[in-house]
Amino acid sequence: MKEIPISKRNLIIAVILAVVIAAGILVIENWPLHKEQSSTASTNEDSLVSTAAVNAIEKVFQVNYQEGKDAWLERICELSTPAGYELFTAGADRMWEKYVDAKSVVTASSQAVEKVADNGSEQVWQMTITLSSPLPGSNKTQDTAYVVLAKTESGWKFDRFLMEEEINAIRAQGKTPTTTVEEGKK
Amino acid sequence: MKRFFLIIVVMTLLIPSAVYAQGTDPWSEVFQPDGNLNPDLIDLGVTTDHPDWMSIELPFGQSIDLDANYHRYQTPSGNIVVLPSASTLFFMAMNPQESGLTGSYGSLGNGYGSLISFLGLVAGDNLDWSKVQAEHPEYTSPDQFWGAVLNGQQDVWTYFSGWGFITTLLQMTWNDGALRSLYLLYLNGSQNCAAIPGGCSGIVTPPPPPRECPDPTVSMQQPVLVIQKTAPNNPLVVGQDTENRRGADIQVRVTVPPVIFTWYEPIYEERDVCRSTSSGETANCNTGAGSAINDGVSDTEMVFKECRTHVEHLPDAVASLQATAALDAASQDWITGRLGQTHYEAFVHQANFTLIPGIGSWTGGCDGGGTCTATGQALRVPFADPGTFNLRMDVVTTGTRFLGVPITQPRRVGIDGTMQVYVALPALVP
Repeated sequence: MKEIPISKRNLIIAVILAVVIAAGILVIENWPLHKEQSSTASTNEDSLVSTAAVNAIEKVFQVNYQEGKDAWLERICELSTPAGYELFTAGADRMWEKYVDAKSVVTASSQAVEKVADNGSEQVWQMTITLSSPLPGSNKTQDTAYVVLAKTESGWKFDRFLMEEEINAIRAQGKTPTTTVEEGKK
Repeated sequence: MKRFFLIIVVMTLLIPSAVYAQGTDPWSEVFQPDGNLNPDLIDLGVTTDHPDWMSIELPFGQSIDLDANYHRYQTPSGNIVVLPSASTLFFMAMNPQESGLTGSYGSLGNGYGSLISFLGLVAGDNLDWSKVQAEHPEYTSPDQFWGAVLNGQQDVWTYFSGWGFITTLLQMTWNDGALRSLYLLYLNGSQNCAAIPGGCSGIVTPPPPPRECPDPTVSMQQPVLVIQKTAPNNPLVVGQDTENRRGADIQVRVTVPPVIFTWYEPIYEERDVCRSTSSGETANCNTGAGSAINDGVSDTEMVFKECRTHVEHLPDAVASLQATAALDAASQDWITGRLGQTHYEAFVHQANFTLIPGIGSWTGGCDGGGTCTATGQALRVPFADPGTFNLRMDVVTTGTRFLGVPITQPRRVGIDGTMQVYVALPALVP
């Protein structure tokens, strides 16, 4: 058997290194920030989505009959998915005719209430909206909306308002905490 | 990619099944034995409608009223064949009672299987099947679930796990109006046209025929529509053409061939007859009923001789004409995306133009042969954004009447076109 001589100095250095490595592993595994990162990321993402929702809603209900339908639609377009913009444009003519007839000049402010659904690439948010004055067809200046936002290459964009049947389905599910919905199977 | 998939899905359902071409089946009037459409069908063209069940309610009582879109045919016996667009069919399936889907002959027969396939293909990936199974174990397959939805026994909205597919489906239909996957048949639809999808638009309603002569017939050809850019060859965005701000000229043209209404007039001739006497009359002839003495009086009566054919060329004039231009989504993305990377703050100046009536106007009329035309143009349209503009023209006709009787209902027809607007970009040449 061959004897390997180890000096007292090297032995102390090896022990110190082992202690430092072990302590480092323990610190990393138990560092409080580690667990908070994902929830922080999620909160940041939700903040982006709700901000996109607020901006889009405010543009939709910011109406000035004097500036014309095209200017109104272009503001909405900037914050919408291409498909969502086409969907909105398809029904815009009749809405705008009413605004012109009523000489509507309205501004809107909106607040995100809660995220009610999330499948990773799409989120549904409940919003409250306050108008400076009523729009034709209603005397309300406060209302609630449910909107779909979709993740695109250029960030989260407004896609569309939920239909009545979809809203009823969400309301029927009650105020259960938001859960991530997995993609369904055909 | 999602859009491409949906197009493939719908295209796979486009081929009509020859199974319908059976002798006594009403479908035998629609399809020939080889599965092709029967040439006797009257093509009623495309009809759009704004039903409540395709309306998206917005806050403050606002609503986006989407177009339901059907291509329809009328059979010689008065049945109506309806081909809804993909999105219209989807909403019909979601609202089977309100949309009139359950009233169709097709939905009771083979049409159900096709509808279930359609729903599975366009919406199946967005159905939370595990949730369906957890709450309704009685459905052992998605097809059973879709069948219950179509029967009105099951609400589907609770089980969708995605929302964007509806928007994509709607967008796909607008850009690809020909994507129609299912034939629905409405028996006696021409007599009950108010209750069928698309209503009475274009339905042929000939007057009651005289007994001795054949039924009147109606034939009509589809209007020819053109929407195109006429000048200049390569329009430049007006922002780079600061001196002239030339823009582009758009021209539209519609030619509506006459509706050919053929009817048959019964011709009678006066003939001497010996008829039975009435009280107080004196007999002066023998009716030939076996009496040896005179038992009738001389008279005249109108007797059917022949059917005289009349061919009417009825003008179906243009009642309204609208033309629009819209920068397509890909071009808008290119401007705000790729162009924006090299040209700081590139933005879309104006994506939508109302060409006619608006920037331009239209005029129309009919000639002595019953052919009606309408033309219009929008000159120097100030396109400020480069890319592909989708051109769209929608026309509504007046319908036709003969001697005050409606023969055909107003028709709604439309056409899409495209044009390019260019921008000059600097390039570094090595």
